Amino acid sequence: MNASNIVLYEAEYQRLKSILVKTQRELGIDLILLIDRDGHQIASEGPAQDIDLTALSSLAAANLAATDGLARLVGEPEFSILYHQGKHRNIHISDVSRRYCLVLVFDEKVSLGLVRLRVKHTTAYLEEVFKLFARKTETKKNAAVPSNSPSPFDFTDEDIDKLFGR
Amino acid sequence: MTFINYVAREINCKLVYYGPGLGGKTTNLQHIYQITNPENKGKMISLATETERTLFFDFLPIDLGQIRGFSMRFHLYTVPGQVFYDASRKLILKGVDGVVFVADSQEERLDANLESLSNLNLNLKEQGFDLNKIPYVLQLNKRDLPNALPAERLKKLLLVKGEPVYEAVAPKGVGVLETLKAAARQVLVELRKSA
Ligand SMILES: Nc1nc2c(ncn2[C@@H]2O[C@H](COP(=O)(O)OP(=O)(O)O)[C@@H](O)[C@H]2O)c(=O)[nH]1
Ligand SMILES: [Mg+2]
Repeated sequence: MNASNIVLYEAEYQRLKSILVKTQRELGIDLILLIDRDGHQIASEGPAQDIDLTALSSLAAANLAATDGLARLVGEPEFSILYHQGKHRNIHISDVSRRYCLVLVFDEKVSLGLVRLRVKHTTAYLEEVFKLFARKTETKKNAAVPSNSPSPFDFTDEDIDKLFGR
Repeated sequence: MTFINYVAREINCKLVYYGPGLGGKTTNLQHIYQITNPENKGKMISLATETERTLFFDFLPIDLGQIRGFSMRFHLYTVPGQVFYDASRKLILKGVDGVVFVADSQEERLDANLESLSNLNLNLKEQGFDLNKIPYVLQLNKRDLPNALPAERLKKLLLVKGEPVYEAVAPKGVGVLETLKAAARQVLVELRKSA
């Protein structure tokens, strides 16, 4: 497997999800979303069903990447937090381990100070989980795919052809 | 970089449409959007200027279907073509799985094609990729225009490594799906190799 690919398994997902659930409940926010830096969704929690998560993921990742570019231009290693304030809803975007990104959406009833503080803690918990699983994958090097899940990669050329045949 | 999600049973790949400004990258995505069933596509996002020129990128998430119970999701991006948007182009190339180069066949755009191609090579290197190794497809677009150079001539000048080449008329959809299919195929074959 390409070292830079991100692989998400059930056990890891459950740990990440429970951290998001806890954060969402404690803050009473509309949405908390964990994505990778390329804009792929990993997990989310919250009642904001009206938001297109795929689009949000892509735009948040691009936004963070652009902000990183801005930071380098002025000689900063990074601006690790982005905050956009709206009339009714606010968005808080922050880095996790330089590889992931956390997005929070909340209304004016939620205090920004509280959000900032909680995001620090949540980020630390998430980083722990990512570290733990990175170590696990390393020790299992050649067993990256757990035996109970079928590999999606033993597909044939015909399988690929069929993709477009629908 | 590919994101393999065993929980949602999805494989997520990133495909970038590169090429000179006004070559037809956005039009390629628009056509793909039009012909894809609603349940297999997300919202198309265009970050464009008032005059509809791509400012940062276009984004279109599509689901190509299932293989072995996994949904093959491709995130399609375009880059802004104009020379001065180089910083934006670099950002979009981060974590890319495959590239489609949309060349403008018109004679007067030859230099712009060559410049964009060498810019792609440089920017990929900067992100740690090698144009000679990454999944890559060449599209010769605007074949319908009278000032289009012969395809053979363009191939001689623009081919990098014997990559698949497709002649296209993007607004009519000619060659658009074929190009996407060839790029997706290469990405998946590469993924299988590395798995
Ligand atoms: N005649 C013709 N026009 C095209 C073709 N492809 C794109 N165009 C037009 O060229 C212009 C620029 O296309 P666009 O997709 O915005 O280029 P981009 O800058 O690469 O995204 C638009 O007016 C398109 O309608 C083609 O194959 N033939
Ligand atoms: Mg465009």
